[in-house]
Amino acid sequence: MTKKKNRFTVGWLYPDLMNIYGDRGNILTLLKRAEWRGLDARAIDLGRGAAHGMEDVDIFFFGGGQDREQALVYDDLIEIKQEPLEAAVAHGSVVLAVCGGYQLLGHYYQTAEGERFPGIGLIDVRTEAGKKRFIGDVVVDATIEGIDPSTLVGFENHSGRTFLGAGARPLGRVRLGSGNNGSDGTEGCVQGGVVGTYLHGSLLPKNPHLADYLIRRALSRRGMAELVPLDDSIELAAHAKILQRAQPRAGER
Amino acid sequence: MRRTAAVWAGKATGALSRLSGRGGGTTLPGDVARAIDPTVLRKLTGDLTEGSIVITGTNGKTTTARLLTSIFEGMGKRVVSNRAGANLIFGATAAALRSAGPDGRLRADWGVFEIDEASLPRAVEEIQPRIAIVLNLFRDQLDRYGELEKIAKTIEAALESIPEGAQAVLNADDPRVGEIGLALARTPLWFGIEDPEVAMRKLPHAADARTCPKCGASLRFSAVYLGHEGVYECPNGDFARPAPGVAATHIVLDGFDSVAMNIGETRLELPVGGLYNAYNALAAFAAGMVLGVDGQYMAERMHGFKAAFGRQEKMDFRGRHLVLVLSKNPAGFNETLRTAVDMAGATHFILGLNDRKADGTDVSWIWDVDFEQLAGKAEVVVPAGTRAHDLAVRLKYAGVEARPPQTEPGRALDDLISVTPEGATAHT
Ligand SMILES: [Zn+2]
Repeated sequence: MTKKKNRFTVGWLYPDLMNIYGDRGNILTLLKRAEWRGLDARAIDLGRGAAHGMEDVDIFFFGGGQDREQALVYDDLIEIKQEPLEAAVAHGSVVLAVCGGYQLLGHYYQTAEGERFPGIGLIDVRTEAGKKRFIGDVVVDATIEGIDPSTLVGFENHSGRTFLGAGARPLGRVRLGSGNNGSDGTEGCVQGGVVGTYLHGSLLPKNPHLADYLIRRALSRRGMAELVPLDDSIELAAHAKILQRAQPRAGER
Repeated sequence: MRRTAAVWAGKATGALSRLSGRGGGTTLPGDVARAIDPTVLRKLTGDLTEGSIVITGTNGKTTTARLLTSIFEGMGKRVVSNRAGANLIFGATAAALRSAGPDGRLRADWGVFEIDEASLPRAVEEIQPRIAIVLNLFRDQLDRYGELEKIAKTIEAALESIPEGAQAVLNADDPRVGEIGLALARTPLWFGIEDPEVAMRKLPHAADARTCPKCGASLRFSAVYLGHEGVYECPNGDFARPAPGVAATHIVLDGFDSVAMNIGETRLELPVGGLYNAYNALAAFAAGMVLGVDGQYMAERMHGFKAAFGRQEKMDFRGRHLVLVLSKNPAGFNETLRTAVDMAGATHFILGLNDRKADGTDVSWIWDVDFEQLAGKAEVVVPAGTRAHDLAVRLKYAGVEARPPQTEPGRALDDLISVTPEGATAHT
């Protein structure tokens, strides 16, 4: 009983296919930070065909992939993962989705030719193909409560333009970079326990406060709301370095 | 007339930019000459008495080009080759210009050109190579998200268009290259490693290209040599690694110092280490075989080979032995670490990570490098470079205790020296 209570599970959706650039950094960060709090942390691979154990997952991670890989997970996501994923989220599991994963959780992705690929509609967002690719450092003023510092840093590389519906609110507002669509100043989305974003970098290693926000939220459904503070000086120094690089360029605008 | 003018203008630009110290005159003359005569490269390479070889792939182009150059030069041939990294069409043009005489004619026998993957179609069209080598296709540190697919198609089209009688020499162990080669109308010459002794059992995290091009199933590997290079097959039986016609067996790795192997009847020992260099030697050897060069002769030339500058170098510094190794992507980085830790027994490191662009570079690929293999083995690790702080975080989560990050290279070296005993070997 205690053993199970102490367990912390990260469910990695399609680790072999949706791991374009170091998304593994997000997994490692979640696992280590749980471990350092004395939890028995483990990651389970949720590849194609696998749905076993999804009800025990505290945090799901869904990364981005190349076009070929994204097409390969599409059927599996809708046929095998959608139902248990929705059920887990309804019971308080947390989801972090980056880039391609973020898009697939929304209502649809519309190509340049106007063709629509439906997503699973877990979050109230829609995405359209854009011409210009947004590439570069991103600094975001986060709008979620209780994270310190209030900035998030990362690297974006996407051509999709994502727009939020009334059911989702932005993860933050861009100070530097393009964010969701390059036009409304928003980046990412938060809808209940689901966080979507375009930030790679990897995201969580340089934003330990966001990692803890996700862990805390996931554990709260099991009545474990408090997290012991950690020494984050190395992580926050890297965070500060990106802010510092962004400073002069943000001022130019 | 037009061609002579192009050659002269190009040569003058080369001299000028060398004098002004900008860019070392590597590609600028190519731009100028091509502006005057867009067909200048085609004309110049047409003057070669023997012909050309083009080499593409993510890793190993420079070393493979140097190996072939050394083989040809040992036979008394005059070789034209582009400088390391100047691997766009302009770089190849600049190289040909350097060897052109005042009459605008190229006086050389062989052209050995390393060519960026995306430039291959144009290079093939203009250079009309006798041999085209594809070494590997790794996901690069470059921000080319989603482009590997496009690059594979580009290479395939280029290989289809090599002249009649020309030979494609391809790495059978790389699934992406395998996919390209199996789609070709003409049968390529495959090379690969056949030695379970040096194989890992599972794919490292940095690996990509892991699905069957026919049915999308995840590929099954019975041996993994480097990154995603190994012996693979689709579980549904519709795609598998082609049997290599030129294979390396009985491989002996000795850290950064050497790698030895058998290729057919020939025992070959390269005085630079690492499995990646085994692939480079194998590629060069296969190309030589196509041309009918004696295997024993090639082994002798390669034995006397010096590593391409910057990729791997050894030096003494304030009484410490330094080994410098350059890695450009996760697969290369992993192999370098594996060589350093497991085979050379290295314990002192400076790990450098630099930005290429002012507006930031995606460094998230460092999370695909297995720095975990340093944990418990490395005694001193100094994260360095403009992105030293990112490395410091990566090392922390790999369970590796590191020194404070140093963004100044000099300071990083000072720090390493201060904690490295005299006579010890450090890896940077
Ligand atoms: Zn198949």
